[in-house]
Amino acid sequence: MISSLLFILFAGLAVGCALAVVAQRNPLYSAISLIGVFVSLASLYLTLAAPFIAAVQVIVYAGAIMVLVVFVIMLLNVEEEEHRRPRLAYLVPTAIVLGAILIGEVMFVLSSVPRSPAQGGLSDVGLTEPIGVGLFTKYLLPFEITSILLLMAIVGAMTLARRTMGLSPVARVLPGTAVLAPDVIDPLDRGAGKPFEMRTTAAGEQLYGIHAKHDDD
Amino acid sequence: MDGPQLSWYLALSAILFTIGVVGVIIKRNVISMFMCIELMLNAVNLTFVAFSSFYRDVTGQLFVFIVMTVAAAEAAVGLGIIIAIFRNRESLDADDASVLKL
Repeated sequence: MISSLLFILFAGLAVGCALAVVAQRNPLYSAISLIGVFVSLASLYLTLAAPFIAAVQVIVYAGAIMVLVVFVIMLLNVEEEEHRRPRLAYLVPTAIVLGAILIGEVMFVLSSVPRSPAQGGLSDVGLTEPIGVGLFTKYLLPFEITSILLLMAIVGAMTLARRTMGLSPVARVLPGTAVLAPDVIDPLDRGAGKPFEMRTTAAGEQLYGIHAKHDDD
Repeated sequence: MDGPQLSWYLALSAILFTIGVVGVIIKRNVISMFMCIELMLNAVNLTFVAFSSFYRDVTGQLFVFIVMTVAAAEAAVGLGIIIAIFRNRESLDADDASVLKL
């Protein structure tokens, strides 16, 4: 009986926070509400005897992903949404109607699920050890593919967020570029007190259009 | 029967997913739409964990693990795209980014 009360408490919290995510106009408040959704879902995972997933939910979602989102919100200095343009005023009733249809469909599909599968007593399915065993034996290939996906995400994020406009006139050529093009960057031109500053040679400026900072201009 | 049934969790998951879909439709800010997508992913994760726990099969929780990894990768790339959009268009409105060409 107490598990039903816990379910109702955390489910209500999750739905309320999810509604707040959609209703808030300031993205920062939406992010805070979304953290509330994640934490209440982690609590629901605990009531489902899945402590590993609950911990990972808090660490990865509420910890890593939301910190990234909040960081971007702060970085871009997003102001509150101004008033909706009249062209898009039809979107709200459309969304409500489509949402009602969707939830009806999902409820209809889920009503065909068996009522009460075997549940009762404690199971160790959600502990860390069965998950680790499954991850490294039967599902090793998806696990390895996941690592490749993460590598691609790292490279993609760096490529996307990098400034690609070329170097500005005051840019300093970093030492790593000397590895790429040793013949166009003069490594002997480093000043003693400025170890991270290099000057490009005239050939380098012609080749790559790099205008590094010169001491005489 | 005592305790919450499987259908309770599935209904909660359906409600959360629908809220996420409605948010993606009505939101204009790209970051808000991104957060609603995260909400939908979490709704599906709840379904996986509920089935896994009620059927005592660990596969669902392994799927949740992989979904979380994909969500983390999606967050990194998606936020990179959002920063690139903001840098090019000085706006986070999805309507301002309706064409690929500047």
